[in-house]
Amino acid sequence: MANGLADRLYRGEANLNIVGRRNRWFAIAAVLVLIAIGSFIFRQFHLGIEFSGGTKFSLPASVGSTDNARSAVAKAIDEAGVAGDDNIGAAQKVGDGNDASYTVRTGTLSQAQSTAVKDALVKDLNVSPDDISDDRVSAAWGGQVTQQALLGLGIFLVVVMGYLVIRFEWRMAVAAVSSLLLDLVLTAGVYSLIGFEVTPSTVIGFLTILGFSLYDVVVVFDKVQENTKGITAGSSRTYAEATNLAVNQTLMRSINTGLVALLPVGGLLFIGAGLLGAGTLKDLGLVLFVGMGLGVLSSIMFAAPLLSALKDQEPRIKSHNARVLSRRSSRSGDVARGDRTRTATEQDGDDVPAFAGSTPSTTPRPGVRPAAKRSTNRGGSAGNRPSGGQKRR
Amino acid sequence: MHPGRQLAVLGLLFAILYVLVFWGPGTKGLGYEERLHPKLGLDLIGGTQATYRASLLTNGQVPSQQSMEESRKIIDQRVNALGVAEAEVVIEGNQNIVVSVAGKANDQLKNVGQAAQMRFRMVLGANGDTADSVMNPQAAAPSTDPSGSPAPSAATSKAPAANASAAPSASTGGQGGGELAPSASPSPSAPAASASAAPAPAPSASAAAPAPVTADVKEQRAAIEKKVGKAAWAAAEKLTAPVDTTDAAAAAVYKPFNALNSVEVNALTPEMQFYVPTISCTQLDGRPSGAIDDEKSKVVSCQTGAKLLMDVAKVLGTDIDTASPQLDQQSQWVVSLDFTSSGQAKWTALTREAFQPAADSPCLTAAAALSSGATHCLVAVVLDKEVISAPEIQGVLSGQSQISGSFDATSAKELADQIKYGALPVTFTPLSSETVSATLGIAQLEAGLLAAAIGLGLVAIYSFFYYRLLGSVIFLSLLLSGLLTFGALVVLGRTTGFTLTLAGIAGFIVSLGVAADSFVIYFERLKDEIHEGRSARSAVPRAWARARRTIISANTITIMCAVVLYIVSIGAVKGFAFALGLSTVLDLVVVFLFRHPIMTMFANTKAFMSPRVSGLGRALKRQPTEKEA
Repeated sequence: MANGLADRLYRGEANLNIVGRRNRWFAIAAVLVLIAIGSFIFRQFHLGIEFSGGTKFSLPASVGSTDNARSAVAKAIDEAGVAGDDNIGAAQKVGDGNDASYTVRTGTLSQAQSTAVKDALVKDLNVSPDDISDDRVSAAWGGQVTQQALLGLGIFLVVVMGYLVIRFEWRMAVAAVSSLLLDLVLTAGVYSLIGFEVTPSTVIGFLTILGFSLYDVVVVFDKVQENTKGITAGSSRTYAEATNLAVNQTLMRSINTGLVALLPVGGLLFIGAGLLGAGTLKDLGLVLFVGMGLGVLSSIMFAAPLLSALKDQEPRIKSHNARVLSRRSSRSGDVARGDRTRTATEQDGDDVPAFAGSTPSTTPRPGVRPAAKRSTNRGGSAGNRPSGGQKRR
Repeated sequence: MHPGRQLAVLGLLFAILYVLVFWGPGTKGLGYEERLHPKLGLDLIGGTQATYRASLLTNGQVPSQQSMEESRKIIDQRVNALGVAEAEVVIEGNQNIVVSVAGKANDQLKNVGQAAQMRFRMVLGANGDTADSVMNPQAAAPSTDPSGSPAPSAATSKAPAANASAAPSASTGGQGGGELAPSASPSPSAPAASASAAPAPAPSASAAAPAPVTADVKEQRAAIEKKVGKAAWAAAEKLTAPVDTTDAAAAAVYKPFNALNSVEVNALTPEMQFYVPTISCTQLDGRPSGAIDDEKSKVVSCQTGAKLLMDVAKVLGTDIDTASPQLDQQSQWVVSLDFTSSGQAKWTALTREAFQPAADSPCLTAAAALSSGATHCLVAVVLDKEVISAPEIQGVLSGQSQISGSFDATSAKELADQIKYGALPVTFTPLSSETVSATLGIAQLEAGLLAAAIGLGLVAIYSFFYYRLLGSVIFLSLLLSGLLTFGALVVLGRTTGFTLTLAGIAGFIVSLGVAADSFVIYFERLKDEIHEGRSARSAVPRAWARARRTIISANTITIMCAVVLYIVSIGAVKGFAFALGLSTVLDLVVVFLFRHPIMTMFANTKAFMSPRVSGLGRALKRQPTEKEA
C-alpha cells in the first residue's frame, strides 16, 4: 500500500506533530513579532504620497505623454539632487487638447528643493518657467480615514470575539484573534522590513487578509471543536492530541485552500513584479501573498497550538489530561519503545511513552484500518505524544 | 428542498441580474457592449478633476491649514456620499481643494464645494422687491394690484395639512417687481402694522445700533453714507417700517441706494437692507457668500421676489444630528431632520415662539403677508444665502421635523448629505473642472486580469487533478461566482456608483479563492464520510450538514467584518467593506444554490463513486483493501 506523505495527507492521516511542538512555534512567532516590531520602530514604513502629501508639478502639453512627464520629473529631481526618485508618483494628463497639462506628484519637497526641480525642468524641457507650476498637495488619505478604519477594526475585533465566544468558547476566541493579530503584525513587518511603499491599495489588500485569516482559523477550530466534543468522557486522548488530530485532518483542506487562494494571487504577483516591474499590482500581490500565506500557516501552526496551550490551563481539561496520561503510562510500557529515539525532541518525550495505536486516528470506526494504525505508528506517534505532560506529573 | 428547485432559484437570480445588466436603470442610450462595462476607478480609467478655491477671510488672509483640512474632510465625505467611491480629495497649495472622481462627473461635483451653513430663522418681516417700482414709478402701477403679488412658496410640511400656498404664482408676479401681499404691512391703515411699528421694531432698531461693528464695516458705512448722500442715509437709518412705495415722493429719497454694489449693500445694517425700498433682490443676491451666516444678527434675504427680514438664528445646522431624504405623504421629496438633544430643545423653543407669537409680534404680519390667512409665524430654513423654504409653523414641534421645498430625489439627498456631514468652515468657489487620465491605466488592469486568469487556470488544473470530475463543479462554481460578481458590479456601478479599482479587482480575485475554499471544505467532509463507509447517497447530506455549519460560521465572520467596516469607516475603506460583503454573500449564494444541489444530483449517479471519475475514488479504493486485510 502506498503510504507516501501525499497519500496520508489526502486521507487526513499525515500525523504531523504540530500541536506537540507548540513551544517551538510560539518561539518562532515571538522572534518574528520582535523582528517586525523592531522594524516598525527602526525602519518605519515607506508611506506613499497619498498618506504623506507631497509636491505636484504641472508640465505643459508639449511633454507629450504621461511617461515622458514622469521621466522628465525623475530626471529633474536627479539633477537637482534632492530626495530619492522612488517617491515619484503616477503622472496624469489633465484636460484635453491645447489646454492639457501633465501633472506628476513627488514626495514632499521643501520650497528650495521644488524650485531647484522646477528650474531643472525648465532647462530640460526648454519651456518658459510660467508653463511649469509646482504646488504642495496634501494627503488624499487623511488621518481620519486611518482613524476610522482602525476604529472599525477595533469594533470588529470586539464583535467577532463576542461571536466566537458564543459560537465556540472564549479560549478559541482568544486564540483566533491572536492568530489574526499575528498575521497582521507579520505582514506589516514584511512591508516595513523590505521597505515597500504603502499605498491605499496595499491598505485595502491588508484588510482583505483580515477576513481571510479569520476564515481559515474558524474552519480549523470547527474541526477541533468537533473532535474534542465530549473529550472528557473518554480517556483516550489529551486535548492537545485531539487538537493535533483535527489539525491533521484539516491539513489537506488547508493546503488546498492555500493553493486555491494563493495561485491567483501568485499570478498577480508574478505578472505585477515580473512583467510590469514596480507598481500597484506588485504591491497588492505581495501584501496578499504574504498575508494569506501567513494566514494559512498561522491557523495551523499558531492558532491551534495556542488553543491547546490555553485549554491545558482549564481545570477540567487539566485533570482530563492527567487521567489520560496516567492511564496510558500504566498500560503501555510495551508500546512503541522504538519510537522514542525518533520522537524525543523535547524533554517530556522521555518519560511519557509515545502514544500509539490505542486510538485509531480520525474516525469513529475503531480499529478497522491497519493502514491507519501503521501510519500512526510509523510517522506520527510524535503527533500524538502528549505535550507538557511532565509538568503535570 | 429538491435540488432542481434550488437550481431554478439560482437561474432566476441569474436571469434577474442580467436583465438588470442589460435593461435595468441607467442603461438608456448605451450600446449593448457598453452595458457590460463595470464602473472603473480613477486609477484605471481616469476621471474628472474639479478645483475649488477658498475665499479669503475677511481680514484678507488665506484660511488656516486647519480649516482647509477640515473642509477637505467634509468634502471628501460629501463626494463619497454621492456613491462615487474612491474619490480623491487633496488640498493643493494653500487655497485650493482638488476633487478627482472616476468617470464623467461634472454634475455630481457641482455642489460639493458649497459651504452648507444651515440656519433656522424666524421671519420678522416680508416685503416685495420694490426697487423697480420706486426707480420706475410708471411700471409700478400694476403692482398695487394684489392679484399680481407673488406668494412665495411657504410650503408647509410640518403638518399633514400641507396645503401651502401656490408657489408657482411667483412667476406671475408681473414686471412690477411684485409688491408683496395685499393689505397688511405696507398700508399705514392696517392696524397691525401701526401697532407693530412702535413696540416691535424698537428693539430691533436698538439692537442694530450697538451691534458690534468692526472698524472695517464702520469705514465702509461711512463711505456709503458719502456715496448715497447724507439725506438718504439719515432717512434710511430712521426707517423702522417698510416705506409706502405708493407715495413716489417719499420713496424717491432712497434712490441712491439702488446704485450700491452688493458688497456695499452687505455692509448696511439688516434693517436698512430690508426697509430701504430701493435695495433690490438682485443686489441682495449678489452679496458675497457667507453674507448672512452670522447667527447672532438679523439678516435679509430674498425668496421668490420677496425680501424677508429674519430674526437671529436660534437653531443651527450643528444642532442637527442627522438628516435623510424622504418621500412625504404627498409623494414630495423632503429632508427629514433629527436634532441633537440640545438642538431639539432649541428647535422646540423656536417653533413654540413661532406657533404662539405675542399678538403684536411683527412676525405675524410677515406671515400674513406671505401667505394670506396665516395665523402663526414662519420659520425660514436658510442654507448659505438661500432661503430653502419658509413654512408656517403649525404646531410646537418636539420630534423629527422635515424641510420641504422644491426638491427632487437628488437634491433632497444632496441637502441631507450636506447637513449630515456639516458645513464647511470656509466658503469655496469652483474654479475649473477638467478630465484627468488614469494613474495606473488600462495596462495594469489588463495585466491584473491576465494574472487572475492564469491563477484561476492553475486552480482549475489543480482541482481537476485532485478532484477529477468533481473539479468541474469547482470550475463551474468559480465561473458562476465570477459571472454573478461581474453582473452585480455592473449593476451596482450604474445604480449606486460602486467603483472598481485595481485593489478591488485583486480583492475579488481573492474572494474567488475563498469561494473555491468552501467547496474544499465540503469535499473534504464528504471524503471523511465516505471514508467511514457511507454510501455516496447518505454521505452527501451528512457532509453537507456539517460543512454548512463551518461555511456559515466562517462567512458570518467575514460578513461581520464587512458590515462593521462599512458602517464605521470612510473613504476607500468603505468601498472595500462593500466589496467584501458583496463577494461573501455571492459566495453563500453559490454554495447553497449551486454546489449543494449539484452534488446531491451527482450523488445519485453511478459515476460519482467511480475512482476514475470522481476524486472520491481514492478514499473509496481503500475499502476493498481493508476487507482483504
